[in-house]
Amino acid sequence: MKRILTILLIFVLIIVGAYIATILDINPPQKKVRPLGRLYLFESYYGKYSAKSPEVVTSIVWDYRGLDTIFEVTVFFLAIMGGLTIFRIEKREKEKIKDLKIKYSGGLTIIVKIVTKLLTVMIVAVSASIALHGHLTPGGGFQGGTALAIAPLLILVAYSREVLEKHGLTYIKAVLIRSVSLLCILVIVFLPFIHGYYLLQNQPFYPVKVFGQLISGSLFFYNFFDYIAIGMGFTAIFLYLSIPEKIYRRIIEVSKG
Amino acid sequence: MIDYILFYSGLTLIFIGGICDLLGSLGLLKFPNFYVRLHAATVGAIGGAVIPLIGVSLVALGSDFLPNKYIIAGASFITAIIILIIAPTGSHALAYAAHRAGIVEWKPKCDHLERDKK
Repeated sequence: MKRILTILLIFVLIIVGAYIATILDINPPQKKVRPLGRLYLFESYYGKYSAKSPEVVTSIVWDYRGLDTIFEVTVFFLAIMGGLTIFRIEKREKEKIKDLKIKYSGGLTIIVKIVTKLLTVMIVAVSASIALHGHLTPGGGFQGGTALAIAPLLILVAYSREVLEKHGLTYIKAVLIRSVSLLCILVIVFLPFIHGYYLLQNQPFYPVKVFGQLISGSLFFYNFFDYIAIGMGFTAIFLYLSIPEKIYRRIIEVSKG
Repeated sequence: MIDYILFYSGLTLIFIGGICDLLGSLGLLKFPNFYVRLHAATVGAIGGAVIPLIGVSLVALGSDFLPNKYIIAGASFITAIIILIIAPTGSHALAYAAHRAGIVEWKPKCDHLERDKK
């Protein structure tokens, strides 16, 4: 009873406070664009310090505060590496559990399998469009990459981990592709610096248009490589998390003796 | 003339979708066991999402007040088809998993899946 009264009192206080704040007009809603916002809105496509991208968010994320985003990607890379370190199976451990055979139950029914085949293609196409149009429409590398990672996850659920690895997507390959695309991002970061511009500089150095298509300089490349890096990183995590618990238990049992 | 027909048939489909959603939610609350509730949820997904989306595309085609009406019509039609493929698959996978785990309490008159397994 006391608790209900307290919650009711807090509720009433919030409503009364909001009402008083509205009447007194303490914090009026912003109706005009602030000068800083106007600067970004104008400069992202026109102007002197332009990123040549009509999508303001992407030009802020990958150009104006690009260094911050580079370190964000690095932090995500470190997080994935930490997870992989915990879940790793070494070679000598792998040889110990050679006799352990886990029966493949055949996956889900044929209806689910066929729809998964259709959906995987669609998901890859949609995620590519999200990522590669990141400098034109809302979206970008991270969003596209997370959408891409759903495709192997669906195959994991509908078929099995073995099927995915039989077709060539092992976690080692996923981590390798991820590292290579991160290296490409670093190359794009350092390339202007070598040619006498600043680190991470976009506009005078990288081309605005290729074959008449707007690619907004380095934004397109950042989005593309970030897309592959994030997608493959999540795929590696899913592959590791789908290792059955039996295998780890057996490793612990064997190493205990 | 054709615009009017498209517009009002689209509105009718949206209305049907609303009724299907209402019936599906009622069934989801009132039906006795998991499988029948799943059926009600699928009524909500197909009748309450696919049919109104097709209705939206017809309304967009028949309207003269919407900008970019062909984009709206095409996008909603494709979304309808994708939901038409995906939603039954999800229900199927759920029902299959529940039947396989054998955790649903029900008294079936006939159970073809059980018979086929034997």
